[in-house]
Amino acid sequence: MVMAEEEESGVSIQLEFPKGRVKKIMALDKDVKRVSSEALFLVSRSTELFLQFLAEKSAQVAIEKKRKTVNLEHIREAVKRHQPTRDFLLDELPPPSQPTKPDRPTQPAGRPKLDPPPRGTRRIDLFFRKPELDDPAQAQPPENPAQAQPPENPDQDQAQSPVPVDES
Amino acid sequence: MGDNNIGKVLEREGFKYNFTAAASDTSAQDEVIKEQDRLLPIANVGRIMKQILPPNAKISKEAKETMQECVSEFISFVTGEASDKCHKEKRKTVNGDDICWALATLGFDDYSEPLKRYLHKYREFEGERANQNKGNNNTYENNIANI
Repeated sequence: MVMAEEEESGVSIQLEFPKGRVKKIMALDKDVKRVSSEALFLVSRSTELFLQFLAEKSAQVAIEKKRKTVNLEHIREAVKRHQPTRDFLLDELPPPSQPTKPDRPTQPAGRPKLDPPPRGTRRIDLFFRKPELDDPAQAQPPENPAQAQPPENPDQDQAQSPVPVDES
Repeated sequence: MGDNNIGKVLEREGFKYNFTAAASDTSAQDEVIKEQDRLLPIANVGRIMKQILPPNAKISKEAKETMQECVSEFISFVTGEASDKCHKEKRKTVNGDDICWALATLGFDDYSEPLKRYLHKYREFEGERANQNKGNNNTYENNIANI
């Protein structure tokens, strides 16, 4: 038993997500009074598995649409294809953009108002309404690989990515 | 004790995120901090995504931010289900079994096997550390900070 476990070199208890942050997110539910260290560990690890799963499915969608960059629509499609994820997440995603501009919504004020979310959940589009949209003029035509442009501006990347890659 | 933890968290966030926007407005900065606390760090999310995606794939910033929201919703979703079970059984502490039960109930049965292996490994690790540190809370906190 123990030897078999030791042979699994791939198994690691090193967590990718900071425990304090996971704990804070769990504590947003006011019914949660106390959380054991095992529960915190399991939630962190299952969240990693969920993220890996969703990233993999989103990548598959992007490949099907012959895209090299994973974007919001690919995540939405991946969510739709998995019933358990769809149940709790689809309504929380930003509403689809106008058909002619699937990648970038240009009129945030015109977004339809969603039904009140279930108890205990938070509206995800509140996050997207706060920051100002940049480069609305650079909306890309859908499924036109011949004219596909790099969606991310290198200068903007440098300005928007101050987070150091190395973390203790 | 609690204050120290809060200070540590704030310091760590300060180290990880450089707020380039003008921070003259205190309420605005508080809003930024609260917003950050609601989500997992985008660097961790982006790194895990890149480990899964093909080498030549790229991820738009919007997709990373959406993933931040998705995984936070996942945590709240699982936590809520586990917490409900605790209440029904008149318990105050959410434990590992509650989380496993919640995942199975919500349709994420595939996670049971890997989580059991991880949990087994985790308990071994905890057992070793308990022996070494004799249950010293301060050392425990330091170890957590080092992870």
